[in-house]
This record gives sequence, C-alpha cells and structure tokens, in this order.
Amino acid sequence: MREDGRGRRGSQARAALLALVVGGAAACGPVVGNAPFSARPDTLQPGDLLGPFDGIVIDAETERPIAAATVVGAWAFERGIGLRGPAGFREFALETSADGRYQIPRPEDVPTGGSMRLRRFTLIVYRRGYVAYRSDFKFGSGEQRHDFSQRGNKVRLDKWLPSLEHRRHLAFLGGGQAISKAAGWEAQPASLEQEGKALPQAAETPAEGMVALAKRMLDVSPLLSAEEVRGVTGFAGEFEIGRLTDRVRSDVYDSRHFKAKGKSEAFDVGVRVWSIGALAAEAQFGKLKDELPAAVATEEIGDRSLRARGGDVLGLAFLLRERGLVVQISCGTSQCTDAGMLLRLAKLVESHVGELGAVQEAKVPAKAGAGGPP
Amino acid sequence: MKTRAGRAAGVLALGLVLAATRPALAWDPATTHSGLTERALAASRFHATLVERLGRPLGGFEPLRLDVSLLDPDTARSLKARLDRFDPAGGHRPSADGVALASAWVRAGAVLEKTPPERGRHHFFEPGQRAGLDDGPGLSGTLHAARLTLDDGATVRDSATGLAFALKGLPALAWLWSPQNDLGVPAFLDHWARAVSAPGAVERETALVRALLALGGTLAVLEDMGQPAFVRNDFRGEFLAHDAGSPFERFVADRFGAVALPAPVDPVVRPDVDSFFVAKDGKGLAQRTQARFFSAGTLPPDVRFDASEKTADLLRLVNQTLPFAAPAVTRLELGQTGRTRYVQQDGVRVLAYQRNANKIHFFLDEKVYADYARRWLPEVEGYAAGLVDHLLRVTLALSIADHHVSVTVSGLTGQLETGASLHVLAEDGAGVRKEIAQAPVQPDVALTFAVPPGTRTIAAYARGRDAGGDFVAAGETTAP
Repeated sequence: MREDGRGRRGSQARAALLALVVGGAAACGPVVGNAPFSARPDTLQPGDLLGPFDGIVIDAETERPIAAATVVGAWAFERGIGLRGPAGFREFALETSADGRYQIPRPEDVPTGGSMRLRRFTLIVYRRGYVAYRSDFKFGSGEQRHDFSQRGNKVRLDKWLPSLEHRRHLAFLGGGQAISKAAGWEAQPASLEQEGKALPQAAETPAEGMVALAKRMLDVSPLLSAEEVRGVTGFAGEFEIGRLTDRVRSDVYDSRHFKAKGKSEAFDVGVRVWSIGALAAEAQFGKLKDELPAAVATEEIGDRSLRARGGDVLGLAFLLRERGLVVQISCGTSQCTDAGMLLRLAKLVESHVGELGAVQEAKVPAKAGAGGPP
Repeated sequence: MKTRAGRAAGVLALGLVLAATRPALAWDPATTHSGLTERALAASRFHATLVERLGRPLGGFEPLRLDVSLLDPDTARSLKARLDRFDPAGGHRPSADGVALASAWVRAGAVLEKTPPERGRHHFFEPGQRAGLDDGPGLSGTLHAARLTLDDGATVRDSATGLAFALKGLPALAWLWSPQNDLGVPAFLDHWARAVSAPGAVERETALVRALLALGGTLAVLEDMGQPAFVRNDFRGEFLAHDAGSPFERFVADRFGAVALPAPVDPVVRPDVDSFFVAKDGKGLAQRTQARFFSAGTLPPDVRFDASEKTADLLRLVNQTLPFAAPAVTRLELGQTGRTRYVQQDGVRVLAYQRNANKIHFFLDEKVYADYARRWLPEVEGYAAGLVDHLLRVTLALSIADHHVSVTVSGLTGQLETGASLHVLAEDGAGVRKEIAQAPVQPDVALTFAVPPGTRTIAAYARGRDAGGDFVAAGETTAP
C-alpha cells in the first residue's frame, strides 16, 4: 500500500499557476462569481451577477401588478485568502411603478482589491399584506428559489395568511434601510409570537390611523403642554421642557419632562408613552403594574389604569388597547397636591392621543444608492 | 541531502501552492454564522431576558442605536468600517443612523467576529491538545502573511510585528476569554453591566449594543466548533487539498443562506462556558464534531492495494494513517470499480470513496455535506442557544415599595466565589445614574436598599463567579 499524490500535486501546480494569472488579472477589479440564476425566464443561459435587473411584481392570486412594493437589490462582496469575509456591498432600493415594474441598473463602481470577489446578488421584494420575496430562498419551506431571472423576472407575491409567523418573516426578510422601514411594523407582532402570545387577526390589518411602527420616531409632544399642566395644578412657575433621559427615544417610545425651574423634583411632571401595538401594550401595562411601587388597579381611565406612589412622586398609568399605547404619568406631590390633579392630567393626555400621528417621518429616499456608512 | 537548487525549487513550489490558496473550510460569516445565530437566539431566553429584565418591551425585536461618537476614535473608526462591509440582504446590517433590532446586533457580532476574515485564525481548536492553529513553520507562514499584505488583509507593520496571519492563532477558548478580543466573553460581561450602569441613557443603549455584538462574536467562535476543519486544526489541509475552493463552505452557504437553516435541537445545557467546547465528559461541541466528521485535509490518503490483501488488513492500514482516532473507516466495499460508496456513522454519510482498479480514492462529496448539514447544523444551533442561556443564567429581580428597593439575585449554581458584588444605581431627575449601594451577592436573598428622593429609575447589576463561571446579571425598574 502506498499513497498516490502525484495527481493531486499536479492539479495543485496547475491551480497555482492559474491562480497567479487570475490573481494578477483580478488586481484591478473584483472577481465576479457565476450567477445562480438565468439571464431570462425562457433561457438556460446564466445571468450576470452585476445586472442590470428588471421585472414585474404581481399578486399571485389575481395576477394584477402591485404598485409601491419596496424592492431592494443588494450586491455582496467578500475578500480574503483562505478565510473569506464581508468586504463591501452595493444597494439599490426603489418602489415598483404603477404597473408593478422595477428596474435595477448595474452598480456604477464596485470595490476592488487583490482577492475581492462579488459573491452574490439578492433581490428582496416587500409589500405589506403579502409574503416577502427573496431571489435566493422561499419563505416557510426554506427551499432554494430557481425561478428568479435577471431580466423579465416575474415576482409573484402570495397574500399573507394569519397562520404565518412575523418573527420568521422578519428573519427571512433580511435588511436594508428601505425594507426595515417598510416592515418595521412587524416587530411588534413578532415580539408577541416570540413570547408565545397569539396575535389578534385584526392586528394584521391595522386601521389607517394606527401608529405605524418604525415609520417615524415617536413624538409625544402634542400630548401635554406646560399651560395645561399649570391649568390643572395652578402652578405659577416656569417649566423647562425636555425628555426624560432614562430611555432613548425611538419609534416605539418617547417621553416628556416638565422640569420646574428653580424648584425641587417634587414639582416635576413626567410623561412616558410606549406605542407598541395592542398585545405588547397589554404586556407592558402588566409589567408596570407588577413593578411600580404600591401599584393599585383603579380602572378610572382608558381600558385599564393603575395608581402608584413612591416617595414624593405620584404615578398613574393607563392602557389604550386599540391604539396599542401605554401612558405613564408621574407628578411630584408639590405639583399635584391632590390625586384628582393627576387624573385630570391623564385625561388631557388621553384627549390628545389622536394627534400622535401628526408628525410625519422624514421621506425615505427611493434610491439608497451605493455605499455609505451603516 | 537536498541540493541548493532543490531547496529553491521547494520554496518556489511552496510559494506557488500558497498562491493557489482558496477559501478554507469555514462557515461563511455573512450567511451561515448570521443564520445559525438567528436560530440560536430564537430558541434561547434572549428575547425574554430583554423584555423581563431590561425593560425592552419588544425584546429581540427592539430597535437599538449604537452611538459611535461615544466610543474612542480608534474603536469607532474600526467598528464603523467593519460594519460598513455588511450586505443588507443578510439582515444584520444597521441603518445609516446606527439602528438595528436587538437580535440583528447579535447577528452582526457573529459576522464581525470574522471581519476581517483573518480573525478566524483564532477559531481553531483541537480539543485533545486544547491547541490552536500552528501550521506555519518555516517559510510558509511568512509567505502567507506577506501575501495577505499584498491583498490588504494586513499591513506591512502587522507582518513585521507578527500580527499578520502567518498560519498561527490562539486556541479558540483562549481567544474567547482574551482581553484583546473586543467580541469575547469578558467584553460581553463588561458591556452588559454597563447597559444598566452607565450614567446616561444613550451610553447605556450603546453599551447594550456592544454587549450584543460581543454575544454574537462569542457565539461565532462556538459555532465554528461544529465545523470539522476548525476542530482538526486543518487549515493547510484545506489549502492544499482543493484547487477549486472549499466546496463544503459553499455548499452550506448556497444551500441554506442566512435564512433557510434547519431548526435547532433544544438548547444544550452545560455546566460552564468552556464545557460547551471541551470537557472531561467528551460532550463539548469541539470533541463531538471532531469524533464524528472528517475535514478535507484529514481524510485517509488514496491507497493502492493488491487483490490478495484482506479487507480487515486494509482497514487497519487506512485507519493508521488518520490523524485522529475517530471517526474511523469501518467498512470498505471494493467489489465494483468506479462506483461511489460511503462510510456511514449513525446513518450519516461521513466519507465517500471510490475504487478505481487497484486504487481507493477517499473524498467528501455533496451527499456527505448534505448529511452533515442535516444532522449537525441543528446541534450547532442548540449549543449556541445553550450558551446564550448560560451567559444569561443569573437573574436579578427588583421591586420598589415604601422608599426602598429590594433586589434578589437568582439562578446561581454551586459555590459562589468571594468577591461577587451587587451594585445598585439610582437615576435622578436629570437622567443620570449613580451607584447608591454595593453589597456582596447573597443568592436568592432579597437585599433592601433605601431609594433616594427624586429617583426615576432603580437599576442594579451583579458580577461574580459561581460554579458556572463568570456571570453578570442586570435589571431595572421604573419609579412612578
């Protein structure tokens, strides 16, 4: 018995020479890998990873074009000798036209370097109410997709079914800023699913006025003004108005801090608001009830409410289930000298809740373009 | 004795071979690591911990922002540059303003752990010797480092000071605990504590993001213990064995991507962090993987035989060539030439072979890869989920009543080492948290502390070491 390595050594040497030649040739630009998709639906000719790409997005059931679907094309580059890792990307984001069509041009510039390689191109299509589309895999089954083509591609979107899981859908979707913004609302139902809580069917198609998560930074400034606080409590001093700093403002949380100038904190008023959808709001209210000191259910405002007291601070929290909101109001005992004042502040806040949707997000650019910091 | 010309030819040949290097047998970070980590998080208590302990109502789906302006300039520059290499399609790339979901930050950490890819040199771990990669004796390591310099993977200074990848690395476990590793366990423990103890809210959120990145980095190192080449210290073998790249890495990345990996087994429970990798009971992931699967560079070499040789003798001789005792070649069917047959272990094809005339050729093919992926990727995810649960095993409950907060530390196992401490912080009206008390940790005992007037939020964290190793627990609760 003996080893037979001659053939292996020969192939290594050939590969070595080939690699030197290819390596030298590749120094000016990336190696472009083989595309795992065809150039067109009606041919077996391989496509070009660099593009351009075009196609149409339709409803799988009605065959009608879907306008304003978010479409993202992403090119992933990698580099490395032996061990390879991410080395850059290019992205093009757009919305489908009225006839459901999209066009993605070739990237104008691409990363370069010795071992730089264009590893893959991925097309992602998202429209609320439908199952998202990826050019590499199918949702649910995990099957590889074989019907994607570079040109003349037909994206058939299946309608979303209540039996599907948002947590799986978000993981499937991948990212990109445009997709994240369009699908941000799914974070709340996904969170509930992860906790094993069922999502009401109505929550899949929220009312038009419902706060859409991730579409904007939540802004609770319309909920309560300094004048309204003074009107309720009779306070004659000035407030510095800002945000409570215990938590960073986000698309699901915001706060308001009325800091009494030149006075102790017993004169301060605080408002915290979580806008997280019906069931998550229910859970958050339950958490406050468990955690706030001396919390007692009062059911005096909203769908559920509670009172709490800790030192010189009175607290009142209430739940607005349909709006998916939890509001927590804190008022120092020198400002709210009787418990009724706190309730009146809460009712003022409740009366302004409809104005929460007034602040619009900054417009999302249709084309994210290439490069840019994360 | 070799002549000078012979040595020169050898060096040239080695250089050519190194120049021919292709992707090694390693998980693709942007797809496989990201996907394995996502599966592991979903199976673990990660989401519940964020919701119940850190007041993040959306848990793993909570948007969190990394404010790089709070980091030192070098760290900020490096982190930003590395994150900027990520492909948006993977779902782990933060937005332009540094926001991503909590779970996406963990996945980003797993990808960052191999960005730049040369960090992977510290992911090798041969569990029998607890050894890392040391495959660069003589000129070969130097040549590789020089080649990386030309490829932008290292600087000339890196090469000069030995920091470049010269086919050597720390053992994976040493790397996991190394203070040099910004994505290791010590970094996770420190940042998790700062996620509740840093003075300002933005600092705390940034600390939480960094903890999540470190958690992802830690998981990536463990996930590579499910990868035969890493636990067989087989870097050179993969370099030299293929002239068409690593078909296994490509197979897993292309077949499953980041979004179609199989579901995990239940989270694996182990007594401490190291035992997820290696342990006396043989149930560390590195041990189990090494004993079940071959890597491309640790296959039996092709052999020639004559008809008079008995199969048992042939098996013995083949197995004598193997660098590791298991898996072994248990059966050879040599009746038909040109037909691919498989060595199986527990119903899984672990090795392919083919008889051609009087030669047996051993190799790995896509059927072997497919069996491996079906059988082992869920195990890898289960180990990763178990490690998440282990790192978050200690919990901290707070409740406020009558101007006092009671804090209870639970989930500790075995003997608590001295020095474990509980830190309680109060947040004032200006949103600044300051430590108001410190006490030794007393397992499952409610310790009570006075709450200063005007406190908005009470937070606490505990650090120490129990039978399960170093731990951190954090929690907070809002005053009315």
